[in-house]
Amino acid sequence: MSSLDEKRLRLPDFCAGPAVVAIILIVVLTAVVIALARQDDVTALWTELARTALFLLWTGLGSAAALCLLRRRLQSLPIPQAAAMAIGAIVAVVACVSQVTLWLGSSALMEPLAGQLFFPTHPLRFLLTNIAMGAIIGALALRYFHVIGEWQRNVELQAQARVHALQARIRPHFLYNSMNTIASLTRSNPAQAEEAVQDLADLFRASLTERSAGTTLRDEVEIAQTYERIERLRLGERLRVDWDIDTVPSGLPVPSLLLQPLLENAIYHGIEPRRDGGLIRIVGRLNRGMVELTVRNPLPEDGLSGHSGNRMAMANIRERLDLMYPGSATLESGETEGEYLVRLRFPTGGATGIAT
Amino acid sequence: MTRVLLVDDEALARERLRALLEAQGGCDLVGECGAGDEAVRLARELQPDVVLLDVRMPGMGGLEAARHMALLPEPPAVIFVTAYDQYAVEAFDAEAIDYLLKPVRATRLASALERAARLSSSRLDRITAATPRPQPRTHLGARVGDTVRLIPIQDVYYCSADQKYTAVHHRGGTDLIDDPLRALEDEFRTSFVRVHRSALVNLHHLSAVERTDDGQFDVVLRETGERLRVSRRMAGELRERLRL
Repeated sequence: MSSLDEKRLRLPDFCAGPAVVAIILIVVLTAVVIALARQDDVTALWTELARTALFLLWTGLGSAAALCLLRRRLQSLPIPQAAAMAIGAIVAVVACVSQVTLWLGSSALMEPLAGQLFFPTHPLRFLLTNIAMGAIIGALALRYFHVIGEWQRNVELQAQARVHALQARIRPHFLYNSMNTIASLTRSNPAQAEEAVQDLADLFRASLTERSAGTTLRDEVEIAQTYERIERLRLGERLRVDWDIDTVPSGLPVPSLLLQPLLENAIYHGIEPRRDGGLIRIVGRLNRGMVELTVRNPLPEDGLSGHSGNRMAMANIRERLDLMYPGSATLESGETEGEYLVRLRFPTGGATGIAT
Repeated sequence: MTRVLLVDDEALARERLRALLEAQGGCDLVGECGAGDEAVRLARELQPDVVLLDVRMPGMGGLEAARHMALLPEPPAVIFVTAYDQYAVEAFDAEAIDYLLKPVRATRLASALERAARLSSSRLDRITAATPRPQPRTHLGARVGDTVRLIPIQDVYYCSADQKYTAVHHRGGTDLIDDPLRALEDEFRTSFVRVHRSALVNLHHLSAVERTDDGQFDVVLRETGERLRVSRRMAGELRERLRL
């Protein structure tokens, strides 16, 4: 059983140029703000800016180095722990740089600068203020990087989802087999052939149209049942499908082409390889604010599920569900009691993300 | 008159080919069925000249059925029919084997029937090998007199190498087949295990692995109680496969 990816703190690669440049920019702007807040005398402002910027650059670059070293650890932790660890690292760097500054100020090396108030006079206050400011600014910067990262990932996922949706469309096998069925029916049963052509047209319209939003469970069930009718012509008594979804509100918004690919997989892997066919069960339930849709099919006669070839369709549905219900939808699949089962779960509360 | 056997698991697909054959003239449809193993039996009984054989069928598929038919003393010519099997089609092209794509055109059917030729088992082996993740056969085919005996894989206890042939020991007795043990080991990697140089055992029929008095191992077959010696070299792999 597999489930959706857990959420992770999304930080850029602090070992590489762009992120370091961003940090330098943040640091310099912070230095300007601090200098402006402290001084109103123009000449003193430049001195203040210079030494603050020097101090902050060390902390900024030190933090980048620390986050670069911690990168792998941070990516393996859930968001709260990762954020705490990253802020902790920044605070530690701030404390170190502050200590070094204090040590430099009290050392004999800096004798010529004595009396110019170049170095802080209250060591403890200096340290504590710096740590507080480091924690606040560090947290803000991390938040900024995380939001940017999430946004980029979403854009990438959406693009991917579109490509995968294109690829996951109805198998060519199905198209040719249906054409063959229709060719046969044109002789023996023209009325049924006509119906099959209409069904096929509906199905392709649903699959070829770039639909933005507004697909409901009702639409999805209809498409899947159209698909079922065409396959029944071909497979006859071997295909039996039991629909039990009446308890789920049919107006529920869902991503398009959610059920049909699952039914297609169930037929391809569970019914076609069996001489006597079998029963596919599609069940919808409401459970504590979540919709649960399951599709079950018997295993092929040789006992091998053969489902390894359909990861793409499942990955596609999983991605689109996740885009529509970020973080709250799941898709599980596996073998239980001689059947192959796919289970989708998503909230009834409506989509918070992007419908595809 | 060309005697034709028609094999497809879909009734409507058969109906259409039947209509095309009737319109064709010069053909005598001697039989039809919807499964590979039945096709092999009918090919043996009805002795058709040509078999129209669907590639994808439940149970034994068309490629495997053709391999078994090739063992018959007078094997029929085979024309594969498929809706869309990218890899099978590529393999047919590579071996210059004629095939028909569904929906079949009457003119293509006519020319295929004219050219239809017998397929050697080596060509069929190459085609099977060319498909991705080649499926192991569902049956082993043994030449018995002038017919082919199909032995379901699940009924096979073990295979042993015997000079020139391979002996298959199964629920129905013992038969000789042409496949070398090495090839069988490759094909049935997931369900069989080599216990010594000349014996390949079906894991489903193993009941026990026992240590003998001289410190070696024997495997015991569930249904017959027969014991087979495990060679030292294979003992490690056997234990790994059985997770001992």
